[in-house]
Amino acid sequence: MIRELCTLLVTSVLINNAILNQFLGMCPFMGVSKKRNSALGMGVAVVFVIVVASIVTYALYYLVLVPLHIEYMKLITFILVIASLVQLCEMFIKKTSPSLYKSLGVYLPLITTNCVVLNCCLANISNGYGIAQMLVYSIGTPLGFALVLYIFSSIRERLETSEVPRSFLGNPIALIVAAIMAMAFSGLAGIV
Amino acid sequence: MIYAIIVMLGLGALLGVGLGIADKFLKVEADPRVEKVSALLPNYNCGGCGYAGCSSLAQAMVDKEVSTFLCKPCKADKKQEIIDYLASTPGPDGTTVNIKG
Repeated sequence: MIRELCTLLVTSVLINNAILNQFLGMCPFMGVSKKRNSALGMGVAVVFVIVVASIVTYALYYLVLVPLHIEYMKLITFILVIASLVQLCEMFIKKTSPSLYKSLGVYLPLITTNCVVLNCCLANISNGYGIAQMLVYSIGTPLGFALVLYIFSSIRERLETSEVPRSFLGNPIALIVAAIMAMAFSGLAGIV
Repeated sequence: MIYAIIVMLGLGALLGVGLGIADKFLKVEADPRVEKVSALLPNYNCGGCGYAGCSSLAQAMVDKEVSTFLCKPCKADKKQEIIDYLASTPGPDGTTVNIKG
């Protein structure tokens, strides 16, 4: 049991990584990766939203939607829950850290439409996870997201001071870096 | 179908109440002058002043970051109104803002 959960954790963080393997959440991946601090802030916000959203949607699905036989409503109820959580998260960050609020800008409310969040909630249901598996998976997925976002922002900060060919300046070189990172991460596929 | 409607209504009400309560605790005290000034600005959000939008310029004017009136598309009467308003209305710290036209 413990062994299975560890495997699931490693898989969701490193191997089946949300960004580099499933290509989810590309918008903040490109948008808030220019500075390490904002990448970290974004990572923490996404971890909070996904963990809470997964628990709430999982409970909602099995305690309300399934007994009432309205499983087809899961998409709209999940989106409602996610949007409210993001709103709460935005209010909290605005209150506690105006500078982080400013640096995240429009990408903070855009967590609402970040497909990592919805994918995680839906995958918990469609993969038929139990409660322990659901918890591990919904902690592992955003951790993988935050990890990759942070590594990527460090590389991009370093890129600022290096000589990049003129035609690759800015986003093109960032996309190339992302591709190389995806290849590097695919090398981890054999460890489990 | 009736369950679907009830569940959505209940969930919406619940989350709405939750956010309403959260708003009470997490309210950010904003200077009322910022809102007034940004309402008087043209709100084209052209960025010609160098700030991200009209509300950012309004914030900068109230914070005394700028000393001259930077908004170019603003009409003359509105511009005078903003300058007069800021010169006559003291903020929470009791000082007024003087912007050169």
